[in-house]
Amino acid sequence: MNISNALSLFRKCTGHRSSVNTSVHCSAKQARAMFSLAYGLWKYIFNKTEFHVLILGVDKAGKTTLLEKIKSTYLKGEGLTPDRIVPTVGLNIGRIEDANAKLVFWDLGGQVGLRTIWEKYYQEAHAIIYVIDAAAASSFEDAKSALEKVLRHEDLKGAPLLIFANKQDLAGVITDEELARYLHLKELDERPYMFQAVSAYDGRGIKSGIDWVVEQMERSKRTEVLRARAGITGQI
Amino acid sequence: MGIVFTRLFSSVFGNREARILVLGLDNAGKTTILYRLQMGEVVSTIPTIGFNVETVQYNNIKFQVWDLGGQTSIRPYWRCYFPNTQAIIYVVDSSDTDRLVTAKEEFHAILEEDELKGAVVLVYANKQDLPGALDDAAITESLELHKIKSRQWAIFKTSAIKGEGLFEGLDWLSNALKSKSG
Repeated sequence: MNISNALSLFRKCTGHRSSVNTSVHCSAKQARAMFSLAYGLWKYIFNKTEFHVLILGVDKAGKTTLLEKIKSTYLKGEGLTPDRIVPTVGLNIGRIEDANAKLVFWDLGGQVGLRTIWEKYYQEAHAIIYVIDAAAASSFEDAKSALEKVLRHEDLKGAPLLIFANKQDLAGVITDEELARYLHLKELDERPYMFQAVSAYDGRGIKSGIDWVVEQMERSKRTEVLRARAGITGQI
Repeated sequence: MGIVFTRLFSSVFGNREARILVLGLDNAGKTTILYRLQMGEVVSTIPTIGFNVETVQYNNIKFQVWDLGGQTSIRPYWRCYFPNTQAIIYVVDSSDTDRLVTAKEEFHAILEEDELKGAVVLVYANKQDLPGALDDAAITESLELHKIKSRQWAIFKTSAIKGEGLFEGLDWLSNALKSKSG
């Protein structure tokens, strides 16, 4: 039941208050209407914004493992265990709800041939999580150049960027600060960004990263722009 | 190979009835794929409603195959096969570049169907054994897979004749169906 229906029902019921009979007859209905009204208002006021978060990174960075870990953490259910995960050649989706926000994660395959599809998802993305295997120094060069290309893209203007220095559970891994120093990205000035040490395997660091990205998206100018555009086309 | 199937899918659906549609233009290799998977006898039916549906029943999963494209008068009857569909396997002849546009249009039209909104999509870029076959990235581009934003999808290079790539795809599919709740 939507707000206007609830309101009219509410009015109908309160209008008959003088008659004892109808008021008895009405009370159940009234209660229901009141509930609907309250619920409608509550939904109207607290309607959570839906944010789209792109999970990017080169192949073997651990994007899908991260997604599954996020799902198992927030949904209290079983995500896929790491040994069940196969290389992504397309799109995986995860939906979670935080206290204030609905998050839709788009996890895209990171193999070279598939990176061309990344940009097709940029326009509708509120923020980016860029995952790097911080234990594989040999992948850093590729990760850096792919990230630079992402950041240069016009469609991602102003999108908050969370960089996950992943695989902190492995030996020989570098910290988030070391990774930041190594990447030395010039393009970062144009957007809010943060480096975070995480392990998609044991889950450390993920929650604080997600908290940060939600906060950034809530106050991001880009969110307003996307909302305005969604308003015009009538969809998100 | 039937045993692989049991391993992959028995835990996905439990005892629920499930349907997987195997779709594509004619001559994409759909039936060959079903035979390759050797899950059971492919039963061909030409029902009175006038289009040919092949069915393989594997435990509680029904695989159903028909050709997209062609006459529009029978299309409304396709809907009879939509309820409870968990996944769509879309098969493309990667060497038939002339018809890729049609393949794309038919693909997106079927995805629009309300009853298929929740189904995950597995694309087989088939006939990789033929010369001039486009690879997975090129097929992704031609089919405009990136337009899919509210459901999981994946693409695999396959050769149904050689039996390559089919199980990798099914591996992904069973995972996707397991984690779909998210």
